[in-house]
Amino acid sequence: MASQFPQHGHHITPTKVLGWNLFWLLILMASTVLLARVFHFLPTFPANMAALGIAVTKAYLVINIFMGVKFSTKLTKMYAIGGFVWFMLIFGILVDYATRSWEPVPGWEKTPSSSIPRVPGIKE
Amino acid sequence: MSEHAAHNEGGDVVYAQYETIEQQQESYVVGMWSFLVTEIMFFGGLFMVYSLYRWKYVDVWSKMSTELDWRWGGLNTTILLISSFFVAMAVQKAQKRETKAQINYLWLTVLCALGFLCVKYVEYQAKFHHGLWPDALYTAPHIIPHGEEGYSRIFMSLYFAMTGLHGAHVAIGIIVITTLIFMTKAKAPSVSDFVPTEMVGLYWHFVDLVWIFLYPLFYLIPK
Repeated sequence: MASQFPQHGHHITPTKVLGWNLFWLLILMASTVLLARVFHFLPTFPANMAALGIAVTKAYLVINIFMGVKFSTKLTKMYAIGGFVWFMLIFGILVDYATRSWEPVPGWEKTPSSSIPRVPGIKE
Repeated sequence: MSEHAAHNEGGDVVYAQYETIEQQQESYVVGMWSFLVTEIMFFGGLFMVYSLYRWKYVDVWSKMSTELDWRWGGLNTTILLISSFFVAMAVQKAQKRETKAQINYLWLTVLCALGFLCVKYVEYQAKFHHGLWPDALYTAPHIIPHGEEGYSRIFMSLYFAMTGLHGAHVAIGIIVITTLIFMTKAKAPSVSDFVPTEMVGLYWHFVDLVWIFLYPLFYLIPK
């Protein structure tokens, strides 16, 4: 598909590209629903991975085509990637909760907590 | 015109701190991306909280997911995806200086946004009627085992917090897009080129992105 550059070299995404992008997004949306409601016999982990995989693919299409990151400058791409890296870094906090039970501290299991139990087998 | 600005050969105003119109436009777009990164931090914290509690109360959350109607959520996902296409078309028309088509696509986006909020209203109404608003009168559904009602309430709290915050972004989007439409119609100098439409478009796509993740995370939790 030929691109057009009438305004100061700024990329204009053709209608056909935008239309196909919408088409694939709707197909992916239908896939998410089918996977969750029709093929719900899948075990939990693969079902979660598939649902999130489809969501990430949809996000990739929106960011690259609709938001135009694919056609933008390296600086804009850096900001888009930076946002994603920041988002993933936040989830590093989960490592704290995951490793608390490795070194249980006496008394903590009795403390009302708003997070993951610090001792294995203790349910608040 | 101010002595701090100059017109380039395309008729656009290039301000003194920029060398070219391309550099000026890029700085606007990068500024918008910086704002979107702060929005990612904003929603990112909530997604982290969601992950933590889903990890902890996975069975209760799977049961609570069935209290949400996936058809309404699916309809809203479809509406937002289509609205993203409309706003992308509005940016394209603004770049081609086809103002009438640009305004039409922006109106279609506003229409989709209003449709989204209507669906959300219907959903919230049903939750209020079923006693699922997480206040003192909260009533856990009968499918939740005795002793685990509090965990189901955390689910509903996060559902209302995250979808409510997203809904507020949709409402702000409606105000911003409508303002852009009227300013474009009035030929306001600040919206004379396509960059304001592109920035509004970036914001709207971000709103769509958040919902792309909210839908499977709340409505389609596997057993």
